[in-house]
Amino acid sequence: MPDIFNIFIRSVFIDNMVFAYFLGMCSYLAVSKSVKTAGGLGLAVCFVLAVTVPVNYLIDKYLLQPGALAWLGEGFADVDLSFLSLIIFIAVIAGMVQLLEMVIERHMPALYMALGIFLPLIAVNCAILGGSLFMQERNFPTVIHSFSYAIGSGLGWLLAITSMAAIRERLKYANIPEPLRGNGIAYIITGLMGLGFMAFLGF
Amino acid sequence: MKKYLGPLSKDNPILVQTLGVCSALAVTAQLKPAVVMALSVTVVCAFSNLIISLIRNTIPPRIRIIVQLLIVSFWVVLVDLLLQAYFYEISKLLSVFVGLIITNCIIMGRLEAFALSHKPWPSFMDGVMNGVGYGLVLVVVAFFRELLGSGTLWNHQVIPKALYQIGYLNNGLMILPPMALILVGVMIWIRGSRVDR
Amino acid sequence: MRKFSNTYIYVYVSALVLLISVVLASVSIGLRPKRDANVTREKYQQILKAAGYKDISKKNVVSFFQEIAEPEMGNEPSEQYRIRCADGNSGIVVRVNGKGLWGPIWGYVVLSEDGTTIKGVSFAHKSETPGLGAKITDDEFSNAFIGKKLYNQNGAFTSVRVIKKGQEGDIREENRVDAISGATITSRGVDEMMRGVKRD
Repeated sequence: MPDIFNIFIRSVFIDNMVFAYFLGMCSYLAVSKSVKTAGGLGLAVCFVLAVTVPVNYLIDKYLLQPGALAWLGEGFADVDLSFLSLIIFIAVIAGMVQLLEMVIERHMPALYMALGIFLPLIAVNCAILGGSLFMQERNFPTVIHSFSYAIGSGLGWLLAITSMAAIRERLKYANIPEPLRGNGIAYIITGLMGLGFMAFLGF
Repeated sequence: MKKYLGPLSKDNPILVQTLGVCSALAVTAQLKPAVVMALSVTVVCAFSNLIISLIRNTIPPRIRIIVQLLIVSFWVVLVDLLLQAYFYEISKLLSVFVGLIITNCIIMGRLEAFALSHKPWPSFMDGVMNGVGYGLVLVVVAFFRELLGSGTLWNHQVIPKALYQIGYLNNGLMILPPMALILVGVMIWIRGSRVDR
Repeated sequence: MRKFSNTYIYVYVSALVLLISVVLASVSIGLRPKRDANVTREKYQQILKAAGYKDISKKNVVSFFQEIAEPEMGNEPSEQYRIRCADGNSGIVVRVNGKGLWGPIWGYVVLSEDGTTIKGVSFAHKSETPGLGAKITDDEFSNAFIGKKLYNQNGAFTSVRVIKKGQEGDIREENRVDAISGATITSRGVDEMMRGVKRD
């Protein structure tokens, strides 16, 4: 149990998707112009991570890893399908996003209105695939660990994009050198925020 | 030839279109992985463009995103397997970031915007040039990070030992991930001030 | 815009998936021996580093290793070797396995012939944080282990502890090294891993 909590806290603050690994930067820079839309996209990312990472965890553990097919019988114990993991992960993510979109549209129209336009964008958000790949690399012992990691990373991303959007809203009133406006200053601010987040590492 | 040169500066994918930053910056602490990453992206981008352009008339529009993802991931896995076999140390340095080339927005963006509507050869060139434009930024960032952060280039010591003896120190800050972003910001600044707006 | 029937779409996707998986599977199988050779070479390289050989060119690693080391028991791949170290004496290589913050960590420890003193170590990790936990692979950390003792003043097995500065207690200098600041969990992982060092 302390393990699970530890993973959660670490993935929100220390191994933050945006500040430590630059994942999901494209949509992070494109959609961080207002706090409201940023929050919407952040929630959607959180949601999709929380669904796809555990699903990919189970697929990885029981289908793809070397020796994962052992439950099928002796003869399958040597099969190593890990070279397929990338393709399968991305297929699961694309499929899940499509499925979620349909389910949410049908049963939760309010949420759909809030997330709707962002959901299709997410299939190609690196943070989502990154979540699954880091999950695979880090070898979590149980599916609960991977779930806690997914939620933590999602919240970390949400935190990053909403605070960035808040800063950019204030930035409109700042006197920035002409060539630096727009993306230039956005990169530098993200870098500075990243430096700030490094304080959570503790030295 | 001239029409292909846009991605190097005018339409540079990272500096101007802010695409593909995701998988890029985490590998720029040293020059070597940055160059390998740039080459991998160029190869994946060029050949995915080529294939998609060759089969563009047979792709049903409704499932084109899935088809694109499949083709891109095919090339990425291929590159990954080759790296593991021939450049093992570097493939370990790049770890998951090779896989993340799949979601690199440059590649999907070029497929969608260019390869689906152009002939194979221009598509291939477009892929190469976008990969190179992307690689250029990566290499510049990695150059400064490795030089100032570790005093080395391509793992060879370039800052003379004598300098350290009179008190020169490596800038540890450069190794930290956020510095990559700040360097890109500065590059945008320099580029922006040289180009007419 | 051409119209595509549903049957066409299904056949199209299935054919594409089939083609891709067949090509990738054959490439993967074809490159397997090459990849495995890389893994073996890396292992040998790590052991040589622990034994004090710093500059062995990549090409010579395998032949050089086979010249100076032999499996202690059984055949390759072995977990324990007898090796001629860089200082001319022979030593015993023991593999240790542990758990870092994010994933597995492992290493090779070279012990003196009588199994009491560490002649060298080299650690490796899968996914520790760069600049923090990843420092266990640095020479600065591994050199600290050279010459440390596995037994305390009373002759009891304590292994070499990895302990934060200021928390040494009454553990002798010879039985401990300093932990990496900022990487508590990885350091603890190394500490626990080192308890498994023992000549079989």
